[in-house]
Amino acid sequence: MVKVTVTVNGESRTASVPPETTLLKLLRESFNLTGAKLGCDVGDCGACTVIVDGKIVNSCLMLAGQADGRDVLTIEGLATMERLHPIQKAFEDKGSLQCGFCGPGVIMAAKALLDENPNPTVQEIRDGLAGNLCRCTGYTKMIEAVQVIARGTASGQVTAKSA
Amino acid sequence: MDSKTTVAEKTAATGLLDAEDLMRAPALAPLIPYPVEALVPDVDKQTPAVGQRATRPDARLHGLGQTKYIDDFYLPGMLYAKIKRAGVASARIISIDTSEAERMPGVMAVITGKDVPVNSFGPSLKDQPVLADTRVFHAGDGVAAVAALTEQMAADAIEKIKVEYEEFTPVLDPLESLKLETPGVHAPSSNIYGHKVIKKGDVEKGFAESDHIFEGSFRTQMVEHVPLEPHATVATWDANGRLTIYSTLGRITLGRADVARTLGVPMSRIRIVATIVGGNFGGKNEITTEPVMALLAKKTGRPVKCTFTRPEEFTSSTTRHPLIMDYKTGVTKDGRILARKIRLVLDGGAYCSWSETTLGKACILSAGPYVIDNLYAEAFVVYTNKTMTGAMRGFGAPQVCFAYESHMDDMAKALGIDPLQMRLINALKEGSLSPTGQTLHSVAVRESLLQAAQRFGWNEKTTGATA
Repeated sequence: MVKVTVTVNGESRTASVPPETTLLKLLRESFNLTGAKLGCDVGDCGACTVIVDGKIVNSCLMLAGQADGRDVLTIEGLATMERLHPIQKAFEDKGSLQCGFCGPGVIMAAKALLDENPNPTVQEIRDGLAGNLCRCTGYTKMIEAVQVIARGTASGQVTAKSA
Repeated sequence: MDSKTTVAEKTAATGLLDAEDLMRAPALAPLIPYPVEALVPDVDKQTPAVGQRATRPDARLHGLGQTKYIDDFYLPGMLYAKIKRAGVASARIISIDTSEAERMPGVMAVITGKDVPVNSFGPSLKDQPVLADTRVFHAGDGVAAVAALTEQMAADAIEKIKVEYEEFTPVLDPLESLKLETPGVHAPSSNIYGHKVIKKGDVEKGFAESDHIFEGSFRTQMVEHVPLEPHATVATWDANGRLTIYSTLGRITLGRADVARTLGVPMSRIRIVATIVGGNFGGKNEITTEPVMALLAKKTGRPVKCTFTRPEEFTSSTTRHPLIMDYKTGVTKDGRILARKIRLVLDGGAYCSWSETTLGKACILSAGPYVIDNLYAEAFVVYTNKTMTGAMRGFGAPQVCFAYESHMDDMAKALGIDPLQMRLINALKEGSLSPTGQTLHSVAVRESLLQAAQRFGWNEKTTGATA
């Protein structure tokens, strides 16, 4: 067993896990954070995407031990008790979430992209979301949602009722 | 992260727990919705639906990562299961030795097909074993299952199960399978397990009156649904002998009947709970490992979960039928279709699943949205030792559409007629008869074609190409 201490969504947490445990399993099973999903387990689909020290990571490909001492942000860490994260709001308003299984991963990829580049072009958005597969919603509405944020028209200005 | 406090601050505030204890507290995962403005549909008032953009109320939980799919469930004391896959396409099982797997650390139970009360199921024909016990029909068949304390322990244990096979030459080509002399995949049953004929008018007379006869053969491949969410099941029994199954199943009522039959338990004792499905596309319309999880849960007295690996999604769930489609069409020199003869061969894979539905729909739609007075369409579905095929978006319609539209393009080219014109000449009209004899109403094939052609600039393209 290895002892892993990570900062998850701003709070320090520790767990003792078998050495083969992935970061995804650590989050889902030790920390009860099931927002990141297991889709392919080989880093192809992006359903397990989280942000580690500011960079997007396929958490199914990172061992829990590799995340020791690092800062992990998951989908559960985006919204506060007061408001949705603007990306979550935009995805909701634009109808970018259908079955929703790929959603948390896509939103995390979008966040990492917008943190680095607040005004991405459509091509840059496509590149930024290239590691995330979707099988029902389609990518168009996700790209539109990211564009809404890039133009600064998100949250508060686009409401669910007016969409 | 506006209102977060540090571990040290919390320690000071409570005065009860030290920093080390707080480090073991559950991570931030609010189980109740955030107190942001609720997303509630306007159910109480009539709103104009057509032309309005709808916002999905379930998108709120999806976006927050709070939607609970089956793999997100954890029940206290839950075990994890893995299924040993055959890895051979056609074989007789001589013996299965599970003794070494049973002695592995953390293994709580191992079962084989012999432990299944009624070892057959299927949404139409009951031709699929829950776990193969005497014969293997395709490489993705399960032959044994293990429940263990962790997923890794279960995965290690299935490696220790020894299965001795007498392998046979598999039947892989559907056209071979169609021949009567080919050994039956499910002998003594014939490999042809579904057949449909649609006859309208006199096809030979139609061919005799035609100026040209065109023939074309078209094939489509096997397609996996690839839902982002793999199949998952959690089974648990209560002390009253009632079974609860949490499953990614899309058709829970049908699944309940199939589970009841395989376990020999009345339906009234079984509850199937389905939550949001992470992509179905027809691939989650029937049970897969639900009875196996129920049996493992019963044997261990603990809840058992199984989530398919991505390779299992490809080898052990249903797929779209590959079709071999032979078309023969008689036309006048100005492009009017007088007669059409079609033969469809559906590769059914190892089990029937929803093949009969697919066969029927493919056959009925194989003539296309065209007026054809003389039609003969015949469809067969055959067993092969491959991954089973079943329901997938369109139930056979996309495959035949590829064939009749490709065939139409080929004919238009040979006749020197504009492909759009060729379709307009033959399109179904108000009051046309369908291949199965129904009078059709509200037919808008012509209008749809013309509007589509106008919107994507069909005429500009063709004049540009010919100029």
